[in-house]
Amino acid sequence: MFIRQSAESVERQILPKASADGARKSEMLATRALSLVGKRAISTSVCVRGGHGVAKVEEYTLPAYFDRPDNPLPDIRYVQSLSAEQQSLKEKEKGSWAALSNEEKLALYRISFNQSFAEMKKASGEWKSVLGGVFFFIGFTGLVVLWQRKYVYGPVPHTFDPEYKAKELQRMLDMRISPVEGFAANWDYENKQWKK
Amino acid sequence: MAHPSQLGFQDAASPLMEELLHFHDHALMIVLLISVFVLYIIVTMITAKLTDKLILDSQEIEIIWTVLPAIVLIMIALPSLRILYLMDEINDPHLTIKAMGHQWYWSYEYTDYDDLGFDSYMIPTQDLAPGQFRLLEADHRMVIPMESPIRVLISAEDVLHSWAVPSLGVKVDAVPGRLNQTTFIVNRPGVFYGQCSEICGANHSFMPIVIEAVPLAHFENWTSLMMEDA
Repeated sequence: MFIRQSAESVERQILPKASADGARKSEMLATRALSLVGKRAISTSVCVRGGHGVAKVEEYTLPAYFDRPDNPLPDIRYVQSLSAEQQSLKEKEKGSWAALSNEEKLALYRISFNQSFAEMKKASGEWKSVLGGVFFFIGFTGLVVLWQRKYVYGPVPHTFDPEYKAKELQRMLDMRISPVEGFAANWDYENKQWKK
Repeated sequence: MAHPSQLGFQDAASPLMEELLHFHDHALMIVLLISVFVLYIIVTMITAKLTDKLILDSQEIEIIWTVLPAIVLIMIALPSLRILYLMDEINDPHLTIKAMGHQWYWSYEYTDYDDLGFDSYMIPTQDLAPGQFRLLEADHRMVIPMESPIRVLISAEDVLHSWAVPSLGVKVDAVPGRLNQTTFIVNRPGVFYGQCSEICGANHSFMPIVIEAVPLAHFENWTSLMMEDA
């Protein structure tokens, strides 16, 4: 559906057609101009529909920069438009690297990359905020529960009175509820106490 | 009945429930092993320092993690099916009782004994004697002889109910117009509680089932007394 064209053929279509010589000259100039910036800096895939012209190029289809530890070499440099100083540094890079000072090497690195591996992998303190938020909301929920108990719920049935509970407990033991390994199994009937 | 804050099953009062307890231990152990293993894998994956983006497939591990789960499933299925068929074994019940669910009480008919039948209503909280269990006690208990196979035919007179007694390993739906059968043997004397297990209206939580298992002589005394009263 989409025809992928090279930068050269795009230029051929966009630039006006002069004489054969002139056209070829302007082609060559345009291609050279493009290659200075780097072919990857502009889209090398352009959508052409029915020969009528170029459709809009979506940003997400263009090569992008990213910092990822598992994908260490992004498609493009970090700094696309170089200042004059950076451009001269790039020229110097074409010579011997031993001639570069440490600061220059660092500057070259920062042109190509945003974060270093150390910076990428550095732990953030985000977990503290998350945990703090969690505790805060749990505490708030506790307040809500306390408020409910005081202002919403009625009294519990009389069967929750301690004396009633004691009678229930005695009755459960007398009835030998779960005598195998459950409830009554843990009661020492000889000495009338819980088994140690 | 369960003691407060009980998490596990009640002690079994019938052989089938004992089998179910053992099976549950077996299945839970497998489940715990799998969960711990998966948790370990998750933790190692997250804390791993290295990444390999270029793995496409691996036949060996695919085979292992297909075959091993299949074996685990078979190890779970075999005991499970054994118990399933055990439940349907032909046995020769000594006694047949009909348990009918109503809104909101159970009625029991001992038609082996000339028309012995009675309703079993929950004892309301305000009428409890000291020490009785709230929402569990009933005015008339279903008394049965212990160590005898009992057949219970369960149905309902109005809406769906469910007749459940956890310590015997019994839960059977009471469907209006349908007769469901269950059999069990109670190993030991005692009182065993259950609650209606199918939503049936406002008082669904207030129609408990109480079974009292007694030696045969006591059971015969009880039936004589009940028929005298009737």
